[in-house]
Amino acid sequence: MSPQPATTGRPAVAPEEGVAAIETYAAPRSLAEAVALLRTGEATILAGGTDLMPQSKTGRARFQRMLMNVRHVPELRGIRGTQDCVRFGALTTITELLDSALVKNRFNALWQAADHFASEQLRNAATIGGNICNASPAGDTLVPLLVFDARVELTSEVNGAAARRTLPLAEFFVGPGRTQRRATELLTAVEVPLPPDGFFSEFYKFGTRPALDISAIAIGFGAVRDGQRLRQVRVAFGAVAPTPIRAAKTEAALASQPLPAAIEPALAAAAADIHPISDIRASAWYRRELVRNVLRRMLNNVTQN
Amino acid sequence: MDAMEKPKYDGSLIGKRIPKMDAPEKASGKTRYIHDIDLPGQLHAKILRSSEVHARIVAIDTGAARALPGVHAVITAADVPWQRPIGVAKDHLPLKGDRVRSPRDEIAAVAAESEDIAAAAVKLIKVEYEPLPIVATAEDSLKPGAALLHGEDLIVTGPDGKREVVHKASHDNVAMTFNYGQGDIPNGEAESVVVVEDVFRLHYVTHCCMGVSGVIAEFDASENLLLYSNTQVPFLHKREFAELLGMDPGRIRIIQPPIGGGFGSKLDIYPFEPIAIYLAKITHRPVKLIFSREEEFMASPTRQPVLLKMRSGCRSDGRLTFRDVETVHDNGAYTSWGATTPFVMMQTISSLYRVPNCNYRTRAIYTNNPYAGSFRGYGNLQATFAVEAHMDKLAEAIGMDPLEFRLINAQDPGEVTPQGMHFKSCGFKDCLQTAASRSDYQAKFSAARGKWNDGNPVKRGVGMASMLHVGGGAKIYPSDGCGTIIKMDDFAHITLITGASEIGQGSETVLAQLACEELGLPLSAVTVVNNDTDVKPWDVGVHASRTTFIAGNSALGAARKAKAKILAAAASKFGRPAERLDLREGCVIDKATGEKLIEIGKLIRSLHFSDKAELVMTTFYYEPPSHKQDKEFRGDVSAAYAWATQVVEIEVDTETGIVKLLKVIGAHDVGRVLNRLGIEGQIEGGVVMGQGYALTEDLIVENGVIRNPNFRDYKLVTAPEIPEIDVSFIETMDGEGPQGAKGVGEAPAICVAAAVANAIYNATGVRITALPFTPENVYRALHSNSQPPTWIAAA
Ligand SMILES: Cc1cc2nc3c(=O)[nH]c(=O)nc-3n(C[C@H](O)[C@H](O)[C@H](O)COP(=O)(O)OP(=O)(O)OC[C@H]3O[C@@H](n4cnc5c(N)ncnc54)[C@H](O)[C@@H]3O)c2cc1C
Repeated sequence: MSPQPATTGRPAVAPEEGVAAIETYAAPRSLAEAVALLRTGEATILAGGTDLMPQSKTGRARFQRMLMNVRHVPELRGIRGTQDCVRFGALTTITELLDSALVKNRFNALWQAADHFASEQLRNAATIGGNICNASPAGDTLVPLLVFDARVELTSEVNGAAARRTLPLAEFFVGPGRTQRRATELLTAVEVPLPPDGFFSEFYKFGTRPALDISAIAIGFGAVRDGQRLRQVRVAFGAVAPTPIRAAKTEAALASQPLPAAIEPALAAAAADIHPISDIRASAWYRRELVRNVLRRMLNNVTQN
Repeated sequence: MDAMEKPKYDGSLIGKRIPKMDAPEKASGKTRYIHDIDLPGQLHAKILRSSEVHARIVAIDTGAARALPGVHAVITAADVPWQRPIGVAKDHLPLKGDRVRSPRDEIAAVAAESEDIAAAAVKLIKVEYEPLPIVATAEDSLKPGAALLHGEDLIVTGPDGKREVVHKASHDNVAMTFNYGQGDIPNGEAESVVVVEDVFRLHYVTHCCMGVSGVIAEFDASENLLLYSNTQVPFLHKREFAELLGMDPGRIRIIQPPIGGGFGSKLDIYPFEPIAIYLAKITHRPVKLIFSREEEFMASPTRQPVLLKMRSGCRSDGRLTFRDVETVHDNGAYTSWGATTPFVMMQTISSLYRVPNCNYRTRAIYTNNPYAGSFRGYGNLQATFAVEAHMDKLAEAIGMDPLEFRLINAQDPGEVTPQGMHFKSCGFKDCLQTAASRSDYQAKFSAARGKWNDGNPVKRGVGMASMLHVGGGAKIYPSDGCGTIIKMDDFAHITLITGASEIGQGSETVLAQLACEELGLPLSAVTVVNNDTDVKPWDVGVHASRTTFIAGNSALGAARKAKAKILAAAASKFGRPAERLDLREGCVIDKATGEKLIEIGKLIRSLHFSDKAELVMTTFYYEPPSHKQDKEFRGDVSAAYAWATQVVEIEVDTETGIVKLLKVIGAHDVGRVLNRLGIEGQIEGGVVMGQGYALTEDLIVENGVIRNPNFRDYKLVTAPEIPEIDVSFIETMDGEGPQGAKGVGEAPAICVAAAVANAIYNATGVRITALPFTPENVYRALHSNSQPPTWIAAA
């Protein structure tokens, strides 16, 4: 999925061009092997390939000399819960998210995002790590992951040993398609703290059709309910800024007074939090209208339940 | 012989649910499309298209491309000075030498050992351009001083070195005009109690065939040309290719492999086809050229975008008084069939409902945009969109129920319209009433109107629209006929060789059914041959919803002749008059007693092996009793006319603009159902195509450039959005149709958008006159953030 700008009507110049840069193919069998191959930073990482493949055709993907398929690295797989945190291996597919009882019970917004993601075939191949590293402003899992305060784990080889660092997802994104990941680093996992008891969350995706659509806007919302007051409010938006964003002003407005009085100030705050552009999917004006109307609807639902 | 498998018979085949004969092959992935065909020694071709929208070509450098190993030929216009123009107005040379008029324009082509090499070579070609002003809209194109798209003579140099003007310079950007009139508009206006006027804007969409365009061209050692082509009109194209190449048509053979979708897109010759032929001629090798999906979006035709201004009036009793219509069609850079869609639009405007006074003026205008071709419905979606909007508006203006209003104006059987169409069978009123009652239209219509101001942001509505379309061919050429050859072998196996082309519509199955019904044989006894111009008899081609009607009648004629021959032989063998005999369940029977006299195969064998050997082999040519229109566009152009009414139920979310199509209730006058499964599929597919036109599909063209040449951004309807579809068949048993059937191919796509527009109004009180109804467009209209289309000032 490419964010804006749209492809032009120019002929698809030699689709092979990008791929032609590839000289070697590697399929490491362990994390150690994978990060060793990444040492010089001259490998393109292939996970599900659902972004990489179409991007290679439109010429958007720049290929390194080596194509490294990480699908056989066992350390990148699996969803594991601990006391206070859930660790999603980078290769966790969208289907695995959908099938996980843990995700469904504790991370509803993430489960909803998985449910609205592309189509069955895509969900089977697409990975959470790929969604994050592709860093599209419209990446669907990114919005709920921001709501859940996710952190990304990056691994590289330093002095012959694997070295890890983690950073908040909110800081990971730099711009459309751009992240803090260094060329020598592999995204190994996403860590998500278990939300506090009573935390509920919702995800809304707007596309022109229910399947196989890229979000024109997406909204993630989560909070702990205390009568008509919301605590620990978290709001995130997709496709209305160069990266998916946490909406600090909206969160503050919602935390400052009870529902439903908080709704209109929150909508005004949201208008200040977002910076949408016009592209072929939607105009900036329409994105603003959608954020306002859909957020209002979500908050009205919260008020009424 | 007893050990051999025996066919099963279950009585008449007509109206049964019969799986398409090609379904097992397609479902199992065994069908060999053109993409799957590879000839020994074949080269792969790729085209270099323009990087500019409108420019003069200053220089083309193919040196590096020619030098690339694996490249066999690189051609530009300079290499084929003898190329001739293609298209409906012959304003279009396959390879452009001095000027490009759109980003699809073909500048050079490469034939190489592989697709990769050809693609690499294309990238090595350097073109120097001198930009010209871009004419981005028909409106700009009509302004005084606009750059002329075809302001210079188009000149080619024949093989003998003679220069010839093949398309004359034109002093404006008007590509084609039509004017039609009946009655007298001022009289009609004078009789009107209400008059309504609107401007409608219909957008670009494209066919989106799953199988992208492609061709394989090969010359044999005697310079005969063999083309593997997806054409819908093989015989017309055979002739046209002959003219293009200066060849004897008799030396051209076209084979049509199974096609991955046509929908009208393969009615014209496009530059890629002659280009592949030039390359085959130059390299003496078979040359295969297959589009990429992006090329398919850019360089295959579109539905014609139209700006349409309409005034209509009626009397207080509901009778229509007049309709005055003017349209401007964006023709794109070259003229293909899209320019002639007014032929069909005119029929709807003048004759769907009785309207005594009617005027229709239209112009197709050159621009630097993609050019429009023929597309299922052929202008009828656009015309119906406007006509049906005004039917609702007029009914509302005089306070009449929209169904009743339509019934007052609907055509009846037997009518001859001022345009000369004779509706020998006409189930229009049945269609209206059936669709209305099955959808509970009137109750839902009133209920929805009562809820405009109920505060609920999600609204429901119903909308109705109807259509008239040719259903018995369309005589736009001197002949609208089709030939059939039936050959029966000594086991009573039929080879049905038809001129008709199969493009997925299910014609093979229906033709086989018709022949078997006549000959008392099971479907398993038929092989249909329909894809080789050296084998099959002449046919106009697959267009105008004509195949079941025309090729069906042709197959019936050949089958009847075969039957007569068999019965005559049986009559002499058994000494009973032929009139007493019939064919049933593979046998000759005595009609009166039902007694089985002999197996047909056995009888045929006795004919073969007698001393006066005879074959059962018959031919038939069917020419429908229709007429070419005169210069005023009057004439009974089709042997039968098809009718339909569709009611749609929708939900509109006024806070997002999302319109959901919930249900489509259709009633179609199809004459008679031949293959129930096939016709249901045809109607469901057509409804979904109409749904895409109404709600999701939008080929975005900005300054001549297509901005969404891919399926991510060009949004086809996907499975979850397909509504419940309820179809009723109105069987009017057309007197001329094969077993009473009429054409249905285009019909189901025609009224969906018109009905959805009416439903949006019924749900919200807002009339939207521009397509498509994508969420943002609808939202803007509902929240007064868009301007309704306006008529072109310069017009
Ligand atoms: C038809 C279609 C529909 C789609 N619909 C949606 C949708 O509804 N919502 C949505 O959000 N997305 C959608 N996408 C986009 C895509 O499917 C997702 O972004 C997906 O999550 C990408 O995952 P992947 O494993 O396929 O990534 P890949 O294509 O394998 O990789 C994507 C990028 O991330 C890098 N990368 C992958 N894994 C790692 C890693 N472990 N460490 C470092 N870098 C890595 C790759 O080098 C590449 O640059 C759609 C795509 C298509 C083709």
